[in-house]
Amino acid sequence: MAEESILTDDFLHELMNVGEVDVLVGLPTYNDAASIGQIVQAIRAGLVKYFPRQRAVIINADGGSHDMTQELVRAASITDLQHTPNPHALRTLHSISVRYGGGPSTGRGLYAILAAADLLHSSACAVISADSTNIEPEWIAHLLQPVCQDGFDLVTPAYHRHKFDGLLVRNLVYPMIRALYAKQIREPYPSEFALSGRLATHLFGQDGWATVAEQDGAKLYLTISAIAGSFKLAQALLGSKTRAQNSPPADVVDALREGVGPLFFSLDQQPAWRSSMPSEPVPILGGRPEVTLEPLRINRKRLYDLFRSGVSELEPLLSSIVSQATLQQLEELASRAEQEFCYPDELWVKTVYEFAASYHRAVLNRDHIIQALAPLYRGRAYTFLVENRDSQSEEVEKNVEALCLTFEKFKPYLGELWDGRK
Amino acid sequence: MPLSQDPQWYKDALIYQVHVRSFQDSSGDGIGDFRGLAQKLDYVQELGVDTLWLMPFFPSPLRDDGYDIADYRSVHPNYGTLDDFKGFLEAAHARGIRVIIEMVLNHTSDQHAWFQQSRSSRDNPRRDWYVWSDKDTKYQGTRIIFLDTELSNWAWDPVSKQYYWHRFFSHQPDLNYDNPEVREEMWEVMRFWLRMGVDGFRLDAVPYLIEREGTNCENLPETHAVIKDYRARLDREFPGKMFLAEANQWPEDLGPYFSRGDEFHMAFNFPLMPRMFMGLKLEDRKPITEILQRTPQIPEICQWCLFLRNHDELTLEMVTDMERDYMYDEYARDRSMRLNLGIRRRLAPLLDNDRRRIELMNGMLMSLPGTPIAYYGDEIGMGDNVNLGDRNGVRTPMQWDGGWNGGFSTADPEKLYSPLMLNPVYGYQAVNVSSQKRFEHSLLSWMKRILKVRKSSPVFGRGSIEFLYPANHRVLAYVRSWGKEAILVVNNLSSSAQAVELDLRGYKGNILIEMFGRNIFPRVGDLPYLLTMGPYQFYWFRLRKL
Repeated sequence: MAEESILTDDFLHELMNVGEVDVLVGLPTYNDAASIGQIVQAIRAGLVKYFPRQRAVIINADGGSHDMTQELVRAASITDLQHTPNPHALRTLHSISVRYGGGPSTGRGLYAILAAADLLHSSACAVISADSTNIEPEWIAHLLQPVCQDGFDLVTPAYHRHKFDGLLVRNLVYPMIRALYAKQIREPYPSEFALSGRLATHLFGQDGWATVAEQDGAKLYLTISAIAGSFKLAQALLGSKTRAQNSPPADVVDALREGVGPLFFSLDQQPAWRSSMPSEPVPILGGRPEVTLEPLRINRKRLYDLFRSGVSELEPLLSSIVSQATLQQLEELASRAEQEFCYPDELWVKTVYEFAASYHRAVLNRDHIIQALAPLYRGRAYTFLVENRDSQSEEVEKNVEALCLTFEKFKPYLGELWDGRK
Repeated sequence: MPLSQDPQWYKDALIYQVHVRSFQDSSGDGIGDFRGLAQKLDYVQELGVDTLWLMPFFPSPLRDDGYDIADYRSVHPNYGTLDDFKGFLEAAHARGIRVIIEMVLNHTSDQHAWFQQSRSSRDNPRRDWYVWSDKDTKYQGTRIIFLDTELSNWAWDPVSKQYYWHRFFSHQPDLNYDNPEVREEMWEVMRFWLRMGVDGFRLDAVPYLIEREGTNCENLPETHAVIKDYRARLDREFPGKMFLAEANQWPEDLGPYFSRGDEFHMAFNFPLMPRMFMGLKLEDRKPITEILQRTPQIPEICQWCLFLRNHDELTLEMVTDMERDYMYDEYARDRSMRLNLGIRRRLAPLLDNDRRRIELMNGMLMSLPGTPIAYYGDEIGMGDNVNLGDRNGVRTPMQWDGGWNGGFSTADPEKLYSPLMLNPVYGYQAVNVSSQKRFEHSLLSWMKRILKVRKSSPVFGRGSIEFLYPANHRVLAYVRSWGKEAILVVNNLSSSAQAVELDLRGYKGNILIEMFGRNIFPRVGDLPYLLTMGPYQFYWFRLRKL
């Protein structure tokens, strides 16, 4: 991907006017008119309140919205152009809205924002999701202050989450990153985060960065790059996370493409995982995240059905991806009645590792490999939901911890698969 | 050179602020005097200024550098005689230089005969010339100005056993302007000097003349009435003379001091000054454009007075707490540099002796709406001495050359009223008029040049201002217009090179002529006008439709 294709001339022109900044807040958008106004206001309030002395800019990188998103961003911005003096702000707070090149994509939006951070020599950069409707000005402080004041390079968020929220993170991404890269980061590809200018510059020096940005795997790749590069990490408790009501429900395959694809890709790009290290916690600033337990209606039966049909339909594909023993166990699982169904930790971990190894060897088209994981993930999600149906928060955490340990235990197994010894 | 006959001369004036004590000692006693000042009028004329503003030179115990006046109708013997003053005034006028003197209306010294009589007994005829009270609880809503030294605005007088009111030091009792005799006597004092030929007064501490319970005792309507009365008398008896207000107030409170053109001719723009320093440090025009947007429109015959530094601390009263903290952190990290609510430093040390920043700040001073004031010594980049008490660190002797006492005095150095600056950066051997006169590119030569350019157009003193708001916020750009003349001013507040695009469509077809080098820049067209600017660079362009 050519850098010029994302950083349009208009984008560069705006950056020229902004000049060097101390903090940058990026806001990638695409048709987010419903939520964007209040988010920009919250960001502005956060910057004015907590960073009054710093040179700051809000950059909205838009993918070509048709719903007036950019106009709303501009309208929500108060500058001295409107003759609206803000007695609380020492400086001009720049706010620009630009369209990046190459069509809408989360990765391109992020790429454009981080490129801006790099070009403007921003010492700290926060990225805020346009669907974070419950954002508070304090989020800006919680994310950026550890970078600006305490020298952290990457600050990922921690949220109070429902026990059944973030199933993919809990069952795969978090425990696998923890096992392989030895850092306990609860939100490894967050919608809000902050990073140092040093880390942004480091990313642009990496060959894989442009590729993952194009494939929407940028956030996870960024996290793994930060770990692999021994950058200083922290997590910041932001409270609860509410998504915009107009946000579409996450499609499982898309979620896997965003979360698992870049993780597998990173195993090649960031081989630091091969060295064996015990995992260590990453400090959580601002308190402990809680697991909430409100009753939630989930159609578990559908997950079970999709697992069974998936294993059956994808059997030829799966036989190229997973080992014979694993395939047999999956088929045996698929034959069980719902009330007897349980996708155990060990089998799940082996499945995931075998998928990762196949992705590495590219035994099939890599996207097909990711897609083939979808029904299996549904089966695992079903088991998680059943196991924790009546669990209190501590028990849920205990179960996640057990899964993490299983991922760590089988890490040598992945190494053997990787090297072709299995 | 004759004095301009224009009654609005003050709008075009270039003012140079001098302390007689600090400028030149002719008698060899270690203290500057009027004869010495008269000897240096050629220098003042060469510099290019046309108005002198003298700090108080009246008899005084000098506990507040002369702002504690003990006799309003004479000259402090340290500075010479009344005849010396007259001689100086005539010599100044002969060179086309006007003279503005201080008039401290609000208070006297406690050594003044009026106060001595007033305190002598409660039934003395002058008792009511000052503000007395049995209790020190009146006017509770009034702030204390000299926070570092005063705990109350009331002081106990053990002689007459009452409290007297003072807004400044306790040795400076406030006059009672509710008393018609006081008002009349102070006008007579002004007449005394006006008849002698002075061209105007800087009226000190004017917001505080009248006290009223339940108010903050500042800017009261009764105070404005006193000033209006004086102004009417001035216009009637001494047309062409000028009142300049020292009213350190927020912009919205400053407007009434101009009223409908029937109070002050000029007033200092106190809120602007710290924001110029703030804008420079922040590399952001916002503080400047914001405060100028808040600055009230004033009658056509009135004028703002702009300054960068003066004899007082860089006052931070008219800024928010957050802004004050920022200013302290950036300009006075060393606490000894702070005094009251301000910073007691000269221009050059404030700007790290950075020639580019000194030039930029002077460029803004000379091009923003108002009459600029230069403080003596800043034209050569003199330093300050924070080890001297109060504000004395910015009132050290003028540095004329690298010889004995910097050319200021023939006295033994120990006799000087103040130690000279001696350090290798700002000392008189490094920074002095004589050495800077030798070089075309010295700060002094540059100051002469900019004053000359400023003088070349009435637009600066009289014109309107229209801010341009280029997307690059590090650039402060505005067009000054008066009649058919227009001048574009572009200031780069940043320490790095900047590109800026100016929307000059309203001036399409004009040629830009850079006013210092008189070089021609491209004609304004339909596209944004692109300029590239070096660090802290500024441009003055005459816009000409040819």
